[in-house]
Amino acid sequence: MTAAVRRRERIIGAAEAADFVHQGMTVAVGGFINSGHPMPVIRELIRRKVTGLTVVGPASGGLDLDLLVAGGCVRKLVSCYFGAETLAPISPMIKRAAERGEIAIFECDEGMYYAGLRAGAQKLPFLPTRAGVGTSYPFVNRALKQFADPINGEPLIAVPAIRPDVALLYAAQSDAYGNVQHVGTSYGDRALYRASDRTIVCAERIVSNEEIRRDPAKTSIPGADAVVRAPFGAHPFASPGFYLADDAHLREYLTACSAWVKHDDRGPLQAYLDRYVYGPEDHIAYLDEIGIRRLVSLGEY
Amino acid sequence: MRNTGISGDIGCTVEELNAVFLSRQIADGERALVGANVPVPRAGVLLAHLHHGPNMTIMLAHTRTNLFDQPVMPNFVSLTDWRQSRWAESQYIHYEVFDAFDKMTDLFAVGALQVDPFGNSNLIGMGDDCERLRFRGPGAVGTPSAAVSIGRYYLYVASHDRRIFVEKCDFVSAFGWGEGGDHRSRLGFPGGGPRYCITPLCVLDFEERTKRMRLHSVHPGVGVDEVVRSTGFELIIPGRVPQTDAPTAEELRLLRERVDPHGVLRTRD
Repeated sequence: MTAAVRRRERIIGAAEAADFVHQGMTVAVGGFINSGHPMPVIRELIRRKVTGLTVVGPASGGLDLDLLVAGGCVRKLVSCYFGAETLAPISPMIKRAAERGEIAIFECDEGMYYAGLRAGAQKLPFLPTRAGVGTSYPFVNRALKQFADPINGEPLIAVPAIRPDVALLYAAQSDAYGNVQHVGTSYGDRALYRASDRTIVCAERIVSNEEIRRDPAKTSIPGADAVVRAPFGAHPFASPGFYLADDAHLREYLTACSAWVKHDDRGPLQAYLDRYVYGPEDHIAYLDEIGIRRLVSLGEY
Repeated sequence: MRNTGISGDIGCTVEELNAVFLSRQIADGERALVGANVPVPRAGVLLAHLHHGPNMTIMLAHTRTNLFDQPVMPNFVSLTDWRQSRWAESQYIHYEVFDAFDKMTDLFAVGALQVDPFGNSNLIGMGDDCERLRFRGPGAVGTPSAAVSIGRYYLYVASHDRRIFVEKCDFVSAFGWGEGGDHRSRLGFPGGGPRYCITPLCVLDFEERTKRMRLHSVHPGVGVDEVVRSTGFELIIPGRVPQTDAPTAEELRLLRERVDPHGVLRTRD
């Protein structure tokens, strides 16, 4: 008997999503500072102790990247900001690891970052920027090359293509076929999708295909390879239109980090990871640990 | 917390004075970006808008808006707090900023770990070995692109000492006037470079021909010698150095009642 020919649904679990990621890969992570990071998959990667990743963060990364560094997953980071605004002027674990030479940082600014992603999407070796000319960037990042443009002879910086193997994104909703719609601007997520071989989206909710067709102009990622059902999937970060960042939880993480950074006591950070990352067997168990009262209190209005 | 009131006779803090100075640099009709967690530049832009800029466009949390008729401005501290979108007249995707920076904003405020005599500045970090910095900063975000793309920018530093104002930055992230003179135009940059550097002690500008940093005005209660002592390189000191203009009563009223009702600029941790 032959199977009926029908459109394939693309919904998978966070564990299956993490199966896409292997040691040493280049992985893009979407969102922006304190918002929109694909946390169920991030925590699963840390739980599995995947190592040696080059992580292409958002143009301005948040503590999601810091958590990946704390979990020992990262070899190299690509982003132009590592912090949490007023909560943390700088990401503590990234600062510590970078200053100790434990991770490499692809130094660039946001203009260069998008030039690299655009070159990746266009399968070009590089794209030029003016940003960086006359600065330290070509010296602190040897992959950036100053050259004379062949049209007018002006000095420009060649930013090499950034081509992630997998993009891990978070968005408000998707149908079962990977038609993804963000609430808000989607930050740089579309650029990460275009540059990456494959894209997995954690969706706050799965909606019908008809719901997507009601407003196709809202579809920001028209072809995610897989979609993870992820209610409260950006927690402890914000989800535009759904909930605010859980500042109290982020402070809990930062306090745990500072015990290590300032007092050389890794205990509190290990306790944080045990409780929120290694302990819960899956995303729902994580939400249980956070508690419904806290989660509901974060609703945006 | 302590009050940073600087002088009984002008009755405002240094932060308020600097916000007012910045607001006076912004003309009606201009587009201006408001960052998060940068209270003084934020207040300067919003004050310009309310005081004399009914036709300004404000870039706020990845949206564009005009807030002239808004009675209150809640101080959302996070750039990613989407509640700010309630005022949006349009949204922009983050990378669109870099596709046409000069169409996004006419001016920009840039912070710095270090600043050199030509206004070149460092947000990368400090140390000798770039692969293992002694101090790594949070990153330069889009300021290096802004510095070569938009019409003018303002350096803003929250403290003024010889560790910040140095003869040579450990690293340069935002191009100022380069080696001075016509260096910027020789490199073909369309952007106009730093106009002023605003500090807790004074306002600095750049001498027209050499583009070397020059003392423009000292804040009330600050002597020229204090600025000289606190700067790690030789400043151009004009024969007569004026005091930074005090805010008017109307500027202070708008600042305190509408832009900064929570008094962020009147208190310091």
